[in-house]
Amino acid sequence: MRWLRPLVAAVLLLVGLAAAAVLVTRSRSRSTAPVEVPGTPEPTPVPAYLTLFFPGPDLALHRERRLVAESPPTTQRCAAMVLEELLAGSQEGWASPFTWPASVGAVFVTSAGNVFADISPPPAGHVQGTASEVGLVYSAVNSVVASCPGVARVQLLFAGRQVESFGHLDLGRPLAARPDLVAP
Amino acid sequence: MPMRWLAAFFTVAMAAPLMAVTVVTPARTTEVFSRADLIDLLEILRLTGAEVEFAPAAGSYTARRAGHEVQFTPGGSLAVVDGRLQPLPGPIRSLEGHTVGNLAVASALLAPLGWAVHGDVGSGLILTPAGEAAPITLAVTREGGATVVVASGPPALPRARPAPGGLALHYQSPVRLATPLALEGGLSGASVDGSILTLQLVPGWEVAASYPLDDPPRFVVRLASAFPTGAAEVQRSGPLVVIDPGHGGEDQGAQGAGGVLEKTVTLAVARLTAERLRAAGIEVRLTREGDETVALRDRTALANRLRADAFVSIHANASPARGARGAETYYMSADASDPQAAAAAERENAPAETTTLGLILWDLAHVANLNSSARLAREIQDRLNAVHGIATRGVKQAPFVVLTGATMPAALVEIGFLSHPEEGQLVSQPDTQRRIADALAAGILAFLRNAPPPAPAEQP
Ligand SMILES: [Zn+2]
Repeated sequence: MRWLRPLVAAVLLLVGLAAAAVLVTRSRSRSTAPVEVPGTPEPTPVPAYLTLFFPGPDLALHRERRLVAESPPTTQRCAAMVLEELLAGSQEGWASPFTWPASVGAVFVTSAGNVFADISPPPAGHVQGTASEVGLVYSAVNSVVASCPGVARVQLLFAGRQVESFGHLDLGRPLAARPDLVAP
Repeated sequence: MPMRWLAAFFTVAMAAPLMAVTVVTPARTTEVFSRADLIDLLEILRLTGAEVEFAPAAGSYTARRAGHEVQFTPGGSLAVVDGRLQPLPGPIRSLEGHTVGNLAVASALLAPLGWAVHGDVGSGLILTPAGEAAPITLAVTREGGATVVVASGPPALPRARPAPGGLALHYQSPVRLATPLALEGGLSGASVDGSILTLQLVPGWEVAASYPLDDPPRFVVRLASAFPTGAAEVQRSGPLVVIDPGHGGEDQGAQGAGGVLEKTVTLAVARLTAERLRAAGIEVRLTREGDETVALRDRTALANRLRADAFVSIHANASPARGARGAETYYMSADASDPQAAAAAERENAPAETTTLGLILWDLAHVANLNSSARLAREIQDRLNAVHGIATRGVKQAPFVVLTGATMPAALVEIGFLSHPEEGQLVSQPDTQRRIADALAAGILAFLRNAPPPAPAEQP
């Protein structure tokens, strides 16, 4: 039976290797982030329209339809995309509500439909007056709510922090859209 | 710490490969991906028994354990803990297929789930259930007639909720009082139950304001007697109006053409308005008498404490749209006064057991005054419309900090646009300011003369 020994050893080695491979695969699949990383594009992008609002000289919010190459795959991506487009400015000549070089950071969506979106902060004292604050905040809130199904309220964060106020509006909580601020 | 854990910890830590950190838990010892000071956060969370899942719709991870939930996104430095947003001490990143952060971030994600991490990434980590409650130091001081309580210690700020006889501060993990409590003024006691610190008030005292402060995280509760000046306050013969000159001190507000500052204009108009009201026999208090910095919530707190009959905040507007001009008067936002909105906000922010009480207080404090606030705003705006040279923009609603905290009819007046070349000049002239003050005083007097109408709130 001595001749069987190399065979048994080879079989054991193969079984051991297979088990190790299974273990490595399992441990890798557990510790690796899922493939659905936020922002991963759809295999076949479908163009979509977003609804953006920009403040006009009359201080009312004016609607602008914005064609984007890719339909946002998630609510989180939708909110981020809307804010990025808003920050990029109007294509129809409306004023930009964000009057400093700003970018969009982390965006959260809670199960209750609240979006928390982090924006790079304005320089100190940059946002002046109630009209500026209303234009800034509600262009963002109205645009995200109008473009992203399931979103009820939006709270803007600045530099990753909750800001109580720029001096007037209560920015310390998620705000609902205000259709009454939109130009007829 | 049981000895066998320590033995296991040191034995395995010595043999740990460089690309992983040894993590010891009460149940097992394992290797977790690490680079420099960063560790795999998902693995660490799973080692506590937490369920960790990726929600494609939200684009974020959610870790759940023992009824608590932490939501976070790679690329961000924020987390939503039990529905409440919280900054993290550092960013969460994606690295070589792992979701990583430093130890402080791991600690912040673990704390709400009832776990703590000890050690360092270089030599090994120990994960334990967080049995130890965070100590809270309560500093109690008297400030004039008010009692100020500052709670500090726990790294995360609490959520304040009304409680029978006082105020409850809901922390994210268990807390304990670090020092014996010095009872002062309106504070009659403090007790801790798990993660909730309850401040008991002396009967007749109330919470005038409560707000968080950063660096280090503290929570301030300002207590005031419901009758601050005793008999004089109760026996007040006529109405009392609190006028709030917007901004002041370090907060200059908007800056107009020629360098005129909003804080200067609002103080001048407030003083003139107060003069006119006093001449008509109305008691008036200003939230600031000079060029002082006053927190937004302290302005409303003064009016609440004095049980004013009306609160009027005076501002001057500004806009990047240079052509924008006109006066407008605001009252509390429809958003804040919408009961569904209040309910949604409560659901998002409050533990379930306080929801009903929270809603009742919301109703009492805010919605009850909506109709009369709308009327106050209308009376003022009607008269501002008549002031020559200032176009009207009408009565509006918005969620102003000073309006949402007021427990009496309250309005905020934007007397004109400082950013408009002509109007900015106009509202900084004493003659125009006198006419604006006449209009404001006449509007407030008309409001005080008439009983609140039963009609529902006007929509702008
Ligand atoms: Zn102002």
